[in-house]
Amino acid sequence: MARRKDLTTDEKRVLLVLSKVKSTSPEKLASLAELNVETAMRAAFLLGQKGLSKIAEKSTEIYSLTPEGVLYAEKGLPERRIIDFMAGKETSLSKLREAFSAQEIDIALGWLRKKGWASIEKRKDEAIITPLGIKRDPQGEILDLLHAGRDLRRFDPDVIKALLSRNLIVAAEKTTRTISITDEGRRLVARGIEIVDEIAQLTPDLIRSGEWRKKRLRAYDVNIPVLKVFGAKKHPYRRLLDQMRKIFLEMGFEEIRGDIVQTSFWNFDALFQPQDHPAREMQDTFYLDSKGDLPGNFAQKVKAMHEHGGDIGSTGWGGKWSLELARTEVLRTHTTALTIKHLADNPDPPVKAFCIGRAYRREAIDATHLPEFVQLEGVVMDEGVSFKNLLGCLAEFYKRMGFEAVRFRPGYFPYTEPSVEPEVYVEELGWIELGGAGIFRREVTAPLGIRHPVLAWGLGVGRLAMLRLGLKDLRDLYRSDIDWLWRCPTCQW
Amino acid sequence: MPMVTLRYEDLKKLIGADKDVILDRMPMIGADVERIGAEHADVEFFPDRPDLFSIEGVARAMRGFLEIETGLPRYDVLESNVSITIKKSVRPIRPHLACAVVRGLSLCSDSIESLMSLQENLHWGVGRDRKKVSIGVHDLSRINPPFTYLATDPSFEFIPLDFDRPVSMRKMLEIHPKGIKFAHLLEGSKRYPLIVDSAGNVLSFPPIINCELTRVTDATRDLFIEVTGTDISVAVALNIVATALAERGGKIESVEMVSDGAVRRMPNLSPTTRALQVDEVNSLLGLDLSAEEIARNLEKMRLGATIHADKLTVEVPAYRADILHAWDLIEDVAIGYGYDRFKPEFPETATIGRTHPIEDKFALLRELMIGLGFSEVMTFTLTNEKVHFDNMKRRRVKVTRVKHPISMDHTMVRSSILPNLMEILSLNRHRELPQRIFEVGDVILDGKNEQRLAGVFIHSTASFAEIKSIAESVLRDLGTEFTIEEADDPAFLEGRRASIIVDGRSIGVLGEIHPDVILSFGLDHPIVAFELDIS
Repeated sequence: MARRKDLTTDEKRVLLVLSKVKSTSPEKLASLAELNVETAMRAAFLLGQKGLSKIAEKSTEIYSLTPEGVLYAEKGLPERRIIDFMAGKETSLSKLREAFSAQEIDIALGWLRKKGWASIEKRKDEAIITPLGIKRDPQGEILDLLHAGRDLRRFDPDVIKALLSRNLIVAAEKTTRTISITDEGRRLVARGIEIVDEIAQLTPDLIRSGEWRKKRLRAYDVNIPVLKVFGAKKHPYRRLLDQMRKIFLEMGFEEIRGDIVQTSFWNFDALFQPQDHPAREMQDTFYLDSKGDLPGNFAQKVKAMHEHGGDIGSTGWGGKWSLELARTEVLRTHTTALTIKHLADNPDPPVKAFCIGRAYRREAIDATHLPEFVQLEGVVMDEGVSFKNLLGCLAEFYKRMGFEAVRFRPGYFPYTEPSVEPEVYVEELGWIELGGAGIFRREVTAPLGIRHPVLAWGLGVGRLAMLRLGLKDLRDLYRSDIDWLWRCPTCQW
Repeated sequence: MPMVTLRYEDLKKLIGADKDVILDRMPMIGADVERIGAEHADVEFFPDRPDLFSIEGVARAMRGFLEIETGLPRYDVLESNVSITIKKSVRPIRPHLACAVVRGLSLCSDSIESLMSLQENLHWGVGRDRKKVSIGVHDLSRINPPFTYLATDPSFEFIPLDFDRPVSMRKMLEIHPKGIKFAHLLEGSKRYPLIVDSAGNVLSFPPIINCELTRVTDATRDLFIEVTGTDISVAVALNIVATALAERGGKIESVEMVSDGAVRRMPNLSPTTRALQVDEVNSLLGLDLSAEEIARNLEKMRLGATIHADKLTVEVPAYRADILHAWDLIEDVAIGYGYDRFKPEFPETATIGRTHPIEDKFALLRELMIGLGFSEVMTFTLTNEKVHFDNMKRRRVKVTRVKHPISMDHTMVRSSILPNLMEILSLNRHRELPQRIFEVGDVILDGKNEQRLAGVFIHSTASFAEIKSIAESVLRDLGTEFTIEEADDPAFLEGRRASIIVDGRSIGVLGEIHPDVILSFGLDHPIVAFELDIS
């Protein structure tokens, strides 16, 4: 049983109004209670929760005109205008074409026939339209009614269907509410309701004047839901990339970045990818029309390495290595084009560097493949570093990424030897492959004057993003739904 | 990557171990077990190990890895009386040839299927889809040596595999499924390669199709194998096929190859040798193995190893295509040792972490923009001229275009970020307003990266003054001295657009987006925007 003192002033007002009317609309209620509609309805809802009022809801379809519908309501439907134009006389199609646009005629001819307003027949090479007289035009009538802002009380559902299919009107659901008092509410009113002045909003005036001490501050229901607000944020993917960047920086790595456009030399040849390697074919790589310059000091040594293995006891790939092919520019297919260049520029140990950047592959776009994606890569070059240290880097890196369990399997990458495929354990998915790693081949390092082993690892971050951000479609990272950006919680890992 | 089907029954027979043990250890030799079925497993092997593209090759490797049979596999090669002559006419088209005979096989439908799939995997992995290497396998009893490899006129006719009537070679390229698929390999050739026997019977039309006559069936006992191609990798492909068949119990015999008067015999299965230093192994792997331990691990990987104090002589079997350098052997030592036995150790290399100044600037700009209420978006740098120029009312200029776009959406790399932001607004046209978004990132101008910041703001009363105060706020925070001038960027409304001038040069633009641009992105609310060069 609700007690009188539980009611706010607004609720009391609304209840008093309800006790005098049988049932009412929100607008009517608001005006009788001298409140705005929103406040009156909030009070009515609260009264409802206390069992003092009832709110009945009824939904109806309402129709409104589309821009095309408005146009026809003003000008008349094309078929109607053509009928009027013909003024009861047979008219040829070419005559009509002089007065109406092709699009209007297209629309009109179909409807003239369908509505039985005219017949169309071919005579010689000419289509002739013969008007048959019009009884009524229910479509036009409905457009007029809607245009005049009138409610449709009675209508033929088939006509509505036709107008919807012509895209001249759109339907929307409208909910109407009716509020009435309950018996319990009536009993409460019968016992008498007193309205005292209450303060809802504290104002500077009330504070300064001390007036607030004399009034009653209304107590709020702290459980009332409030409007959701969303602050501007970093992109969730950026947050993930920043986390990885931080890990590298904490481990003492230097950040590198560089051009998207690279010569095939840095993208492939310096990494000992044979010039006839399938990965270099145009179906996998975005080639450009341009050619770039080669670093003269390295080009001849790389050529020797490809052709016969240079002077390190390698067999090389054999065949002829073409300088012109090496000059062809591409959109970098991996960030390794940047790390190898960095190492060539800094051949003295130690080097610990990382790169997080875009890479490009000529792949058809779908939920799990993108022609452009973020790749992460780290390298360590120092005297005496070993395969065991590479595994150490991987274990540490993945641990800091939150993957406690890491295991290693042999792998294959064209420019590393030994190569390794790290796998991490993910709850519910089991062991999943996450990236690749290895020690750069001597065929890669020797021509560039790098004398010590280079430990290298990398991964496409997209897969990790799908795991962490719960995405099903990689494209969503780059074609952001603003609502998702707003709502995506920042602390989910 | 090539997928190999491993039937458990076969696997057990060829290896002599339990299938669960085999499948459990297989990934540790370098394989992805894709599917474990009731009768067989599907396993992917790496492209550098074509010798593992058949169940026979896998069994040979796993017998070593499980220490059932270790060390270099030895295959006897007897001399056959089969010879083949390579005519000069074929040299400009497909000059390389390698042949062998394998006798005494008893094939069943499974082993024929395995042989066919090995051929297909080699065509892919070594042959660059038959361009570099293509393999033909023939029932030797149906043909009469000596054979001839020559080039002939495309009008020549024979009955190709799966046909019942003779067809000209030219026609085969038009109507036979294999002909259609591989016709491009003979583009420009006036004559086509052909292998025939002494009676004029056709064996094959490399690299397209075999003759129906020599089809291999379960009645076939003796095989003739020919590998044609454009370089010397024909030899290793032949060795892989011949030794795989020897693993099935076949006896390998050599073929006399006659070319321009010179005579030699193939296959040559003698191993190549390489020296390996104990120190180099231990220093690269971070282990402390003795020469004996290294030798044992190499033998597990089916290599031969002889110890000479602190170094080893390693024998590499003739079917291995991947050993270019000593480090390739060291990887085999590591695999033999077991990747799962290594104790990972973070390197002691002491260095100081350092950020890149451009990334630092990006981070600062993100902080500023978020403070101004803009949400960050990340977009593709790949775009197309329609979105980048036409929709923006901007004139098409020279940009970084890709040569063979894969879709009309991605034909070029952006030179401005603003069009990408307009696209994001377009995608979000049904979402609540106002929307404020920004991106900071790379664009390409003259083939070089440059950095840009762009922001857009859409709502029903968006105004020039609003975006000017936002852009000025960013510039103030960057400590940039600037002036504002009227601009002429057609993406913006005349009289409501401005250039940001620093040191007499325009570094950006701001203003109210032109209604034509708004409409071209399917939007209908006022938009204000700015873009700054922050390079």
